[in-house]
Amino acid sequence: MPDPRQPPSEPLPMQSASTKLSIGDLNVRFGSVVALKDVSLDIADGEFVCILGASGCGKSTLFNVVSGLLKATSGKIVLDGQDVSNRPGQVGYMLQKDLMLPWRTVLGNITLAASLTRGATAKDRDEAAELASRYGLGDFLNHYPHALSGGMRQRVAMMRTIAAGRQVMLLDEPFGALDAQTRLGMQQWLLQLWRDLKRTILFVTHDVDEAIYLADRIVVMTPRPGRIADILTVDLPRPRPLEVLTTDTFVGLKRQIMQHLYH
Amino acid sequence: MNTRFGAAAGPFLIWVVAMVLILVAWQLLVWATGLPPYVIPPPALAFSTLLDNWPRLSVLTGQTLYETAIGYLLGAVIGFLLALAMGQIRVVQRLVMPALIISQAVPIVAIAAPLVIIFGFGITPKLIIVAWIVFFPVVVNVLDGLASVDRDMLNLARLMGGGSLRTFAIVKLPACIGPLFSGLKIGATYAVTGAVIGEWTASSKQGLGTYLLTANAQMNTAGVYAAMLLLTVIGVGSFLLVFGLEVLMTPWRSRSTAPAWAQWKPSQPAS
Ligand SMILES: Nc1ncnc2c1ncn2[C@@H]1O[C@H](COP(=O)(O)OP(=O)(O)O)[C@@H](O)[C@H]1O
Ligand SMILES: [Mg+2]
Repeated sequence: MPDPRQPPSEPLPMQSASTKLSIGDLNVRFGSVVALKDVSLDIADGEFVCILGASGCGKSTLFNVVSGLLKATSGKIVLDGQDVSNRPGQVGYMLQKDLMLPWRTVLGNITLAASLTRGATAKDRDEAAELASRYGLGDFLNHYPHALSGGMRQRVAMMRTIAAGRQVMLLDEPFGALDAQTRLGMQQWLLQLWRDLKRTILFVTHDVDEAIYLADRIVVMTPRPGRIADILTVDLPRPRPLEVLTTDTFVGLKRQIMQHLYH
Repeated sequence: MNTRFGAAAGPFLIWVVAMVLILVAWQLLVWATGLPPYVIPPPALAFSTLLDNWPRLSVLTGQTLYETAIGYLLGAVIGFLLALAMGQIRVVQRLVMPALIISQAVPIVAIAAPLVIIFGFGITPKLIIVAWIVFFPVVVNVLDGLASVDRDMLNLARLMGGGSLRTFAIVKLPACIGPLFSGLKIGATYAVTGAVIGEWTASSKQGLGTYLLTANAQMNTAGVYAAMLLLTVIGVGSFLLVFGLEVLMTPWRSRSTAPAWAQWKPSQPAS
């Protein structure tokens, strides 16, 4: 179901635009395992970047370092011109697991960041409810997570990351556990969110189609040691109807990426 | 969606059926063996003895119930706080755990005697015995609950800027409620046993336990059975009370939506 709404026309964010996040020459070793080797990447404000690679090539490790959870062996993270290396809490991070608190309702989970920092106010809850309703969770605000489907839980986790208010969001395989149909719906849903909210998104996936459909740029990673093999710009117009999945540009990109992944 | 309130009606019904079956079996045993009432009194005799002596038995029940309840609360609170301390501070856990296990390995009857020597024949040794029995399952289960909190959940809390106190209250503490009740339910059935042992070894004041001993010595078998019935009612009642409390306090386990009082409603009417 292609989104019939026409978005405001906006230029494709380019690397030359103002740099939001800069990953500088990261190296991460776990004992003798080199999880990341010489990883450098600049991400523009408002850009949607997909990190694509087989499992074990260091995608989650990259996010753990960028978020400040994990100390890199060397390298630094610069956000808005500020060195934020090893400072947790500067970017939003949606981990690979949905990590719902079972005893909190959907709304309680979405307002988690406010509760953890200063206590959620009525205003926080109203805003979260408004946001969640706008993106299809209106009927589930008072549900407990166990009563939701996998797709719904991912939406809640995404809303929680958005409500935390960070401009840069790291999403680690958010749709990895969903079936193909649900996944396509979620991808369209996410693109709509991204268009409306103008956040900068780094999105980890091992699904080539997903990366091409979503991204402005695709960072292809290869394992042992985890490093960037190539960075490709996706020259597909937005909004992207499902038909782009079969265009020549799409298939050409896919072929290019496959060569890196299965050389 | 079926809630546990609904599902709980099943077990309650089964309880009633189970009790009726026990009474029937008891009566059949009396008939089949032909044993005299002073060996096995029939249920009717036990109940009539209970009713005839109700003015006295009710006072004794009150006393035993009091010891059970206070000792239980004492054990539950101490166990819960101890588990929280052990869960938060590793050193405490390392030091205290062996002592806890030793404390439970000593036969409870053996502990009673020195307690009387220390505290005399007042209510204190009885409360300590009940608490001693109750606190252990609480500690063990709450510790398990604390350990079960997902590390990534704690990482997420850290990323969201959660202070340690708020993270504890929002992420860790609620994870202990289910396990806490598992411990409390085990404790609820044992507590009354603790009270009886306390009365047998450390009593100046009469309770159902002391009554049971006296009735037994006087060959008042129907009285023994009456006391037994009342003790059983205390045990089962405590369990059901705790179970009911659990269902109320863990709505996320039994319901798909929050109870009405916890539901969000817009603070201003939508435009
Ligand atoms: N905490 C850790 N300790 C040791 N090795 C780790 C740790 N985290 C990840 N690794 C290793 O680093 C490599 C990259 O892991 P990860 O970043 O999870 O990959 P991906 O997310 O791309 O599947 C793997 O070989 C993994 O085994
Ligand atoms: Mg991963």
